[in-house]
Amino acid sequence: MHNVWLIARREYIERVRTRGFLITTIMIPTIMAGFIFGGVYLGSRESVERQIVVVSSDRQLADDLQAEMQRVPHGDNDSSQSQNQTSQISLRPAARQPRFTVEVMEPSPGLRRLLDRDLDDNQIDGYLWITPATLPGGQPAISYTPRSSSDGAVRTALDAALNRVLLREELAHRGIVSREVDAILQPVQLGSSHESLHHDRASSMISIGILFFVMYFVIMLYGMNVARSIIEEKTSRIFEVLLAAIRPEEMMAGKIIGVGSVGLTQVGIWLTAVLLVAGSSASVNLGGESLHASLTAAQVGYFFVYFLLGYLFYSSIAAALGAMTNSEQELQQLNIFLMLPLIFCFVALGTMLSTPDGVTARVLALIPPFTPLLMYMRVSLGHPHPWEIALSIALMVASIAAIVWVTSRIYRIGVLMYGKRPTPAELMRWLKYS
Amino acid sequence: MSIVQLDHVRKVYGAKVAVEDLSFSIQPGTMFGLLGPNGSGKTSSIRMMIGITLPDSGSVSLFGKPFTRDVLSRVGYLPEERGLYKKMKVLDQLVFLGSLHGLSMAESRRRSIAWCERLEIVEALPKRTEDLSKGMQQKIQFIASLLHDPDLIIMDEPFSGLDPVNAVLLMDTLVDMRRAGKTVLFSTHRMDQVEKLCDGIALIHRGHLVLSGSMAEIKSSYPRYRVHICFDGDDAFLSHPSIASVKRYPGRAEIRLRPSPTLDDDCQALLAAAMLHARILRFEVTQPTLEEIFIEKVQEAKPAKNGAPPPDVTFDDLERQPEEVGLDA
Repeated sequence: MHNVWLIARREYIERVRTRGFLITTIMIPTIMAGFIFGGVYLGSRESVERQIVVVSSDRQLADDLQAEMQRVPHGDNDSSQSQNQTSQISLRPAARQPRFTVEVMEPSPGLRRLLDRDLDDNQIDGYLWITPATLPGGQPAISYTPRSSSDGAVRTALDAALNRVLLREELAHRGIVSREVDAILQPVQLGSSHESLHHDRASSMISIGILFFVMYFVIMLYGMNVARSIIEEKTSRIFEVLLAAIRPEEMMAGKIIGVGSVGLTQVGIWLTAVLLVAGSSASVNLGGESLHASLTAAQVGYFFVYFLLGYLFYSSIAAALGAMTNSEQELQQLNIFLMLPLIFCFVALGTMLSTPDGVTARVLALIPPFTPLLMYMRVSLGHPHPWEIALSIALMVASIAAIVWVTSRIYRIGVLMYGKRPTPAELMRWLKYS
Repeated sequence: MSIVQLDHVRKVYGAKVAVEDLSFSIQPGTMFGLLGPNGSGKTSSIRMMIGITLPDSGSVSLFGKPFTRDVLSRVGYLPEERGLYKKMKVLDQLVFLGSLHGLSMAESRRRSIAWCERLEIVEALPKRTEDLSKGMQQKIQFIASLLHDPDLIIMDEPFSGLDPVNAVLLMDTLVDMRRAGKTVLFSTHRMDQVEKLCDGIALIHRGHLVLSGSMAEIKSSYPRYRVHICFDGDDAFLSHPSIASVKRYPGRAEIRLRPSPTLDDDCQALLAAAMLHARILRFEVTQPTLEEIFIEKVQEAKPAKNGAPPPDVTFDDLERQPEEVGLDA
């Protein structure tokens, strides 16, 4: 055990000390933060002023519409603030509603041509032409001519405002007092209990997504580092010195733990940085805190348990691949074996989501390569028995130990063979040989 | 009790037989040379002695007991190829390797510095290993194998790639270790080194043991049939009937006499014949060198196919990849 610690310690210190570690640790979050803030900044700079002309012989209708349109941004801002206060998740960046300036005009001959010219000159963003109903009680004919047909936000806002105005007018016609009209038109608030249920599921989904992403990323980056470091040791012949002092099992375990800890350190630094940024910056409405608040402590615990087990499992397989190959190129050809189980988990996602406690899900979640992701999904979304959780963890631990044992055999013999990759038959022989 | 005991050891890699029926033993407190051309099975034998590989058949005993990994803490091993972490600082590296052998960090550090002083490479301590010359890396590796004060020191080609000054420095260190009661085994393809240093030897060729025993015994079993002569003048005496073969160099000749019970008299007769026509500057009668013994043994073991033995086979001819021409030969 002491030797495992020594190997892991050396591996950790030597890696953390390198310039490469420092650079990736600082650069990647900096670049990510640059993208996020840059995006937010650019979004905030986007022009949100819209110049609209309303042409109508019905002055009352035109004025109401003007009032309604110019009121819209305030109402929307209020509601987004109240959203913040009730700390809901809103993954969309703080997209601002456009602010409208509405000019009212009487129709006159030649006005349409004038407005078209204004459109071409970028003087206005669009004009609305309202032709009053020819019959009493009929709908007026309305046409909107925008400068750019893709400006959907304006059309949506106009649509809503027009409907409200026309509805209010219609209600007023039927003799309802304008205060009551406002009361009727008050938008319905969704019940909060329903929303929090939905919210729990959403945050579970997000935590599953994060686990999936972090696993994939960390395995690609650091699992392969384990394999690379073993290949390096083979080519530099250090294994011969080490094997004269310690067991290959100790060496494998130390390497996986040491290189693994480097990965965990780096991911830890990044996560801390992300949480700090998300926590301190109100403009990036990622809702980091509210997400944590809604995950139970047990869920967070399982997240780390399954992440660690998965990481150890896949690193051990990477170590075995490293022990079998002699160069990085050969390793590249084999790393599909690391990815396949993860890809399979992705494929199984549908079944897991619809029936997290079904037979398929229960069986799949107990198979070691899939356990970390699928059992975590069951813990988050379904109701696995405690014995299922215990069994899944026991199976993971046992299979990690078995892989390290097999890997150390392959390593011990593989390092002494040069030139060619072993055939499966040779691998089997190596396992019997101790 | 033998410190190292190999009994009918056999090792096969794929289709290649690396070691076949190899048996020898090493006595405590001696310096032992494992000799053979490149590719003869020296490294394979050594790897089996320290459990990096296991023999396919036969047995290995260390310190009088069948091999277990527990005894490795008493063994210092220097591999043939440099096995050091390239990017690591020399001192960190030595401390790490020492602690793997069970030393505390502090003790490992103290000994590393002491050894570097002794081998005159203190200036390398703060450097990164990859910045050192090959010879200096070799010295670091050498130190790493001795840090834990092992009772049995096993070194695979410890002097290859070193300049004469450093080779002598390491040889002297090994002699000191032997004097301190340690058992030293080293492999080499340089016979002259073994002749100077070793108490016992094992000669292997193509995985087979050709000769083994104590140096003194082996040498004394060979009569003084080798004549080294420096002269000036007519070389007609080189066709004297007592001569088996001659290597002729400018101003001198190396002569092998025919085996005969009256070897001493033959020498005197040869000297007399030589004096008739030439001025003799030097006339020396010696036992064969280890190199000559080895060549003889190899040729005995494998009779020449075309009848006549090939003339003037040298040790280097037996090697597959002649690597270095002796600096101090």
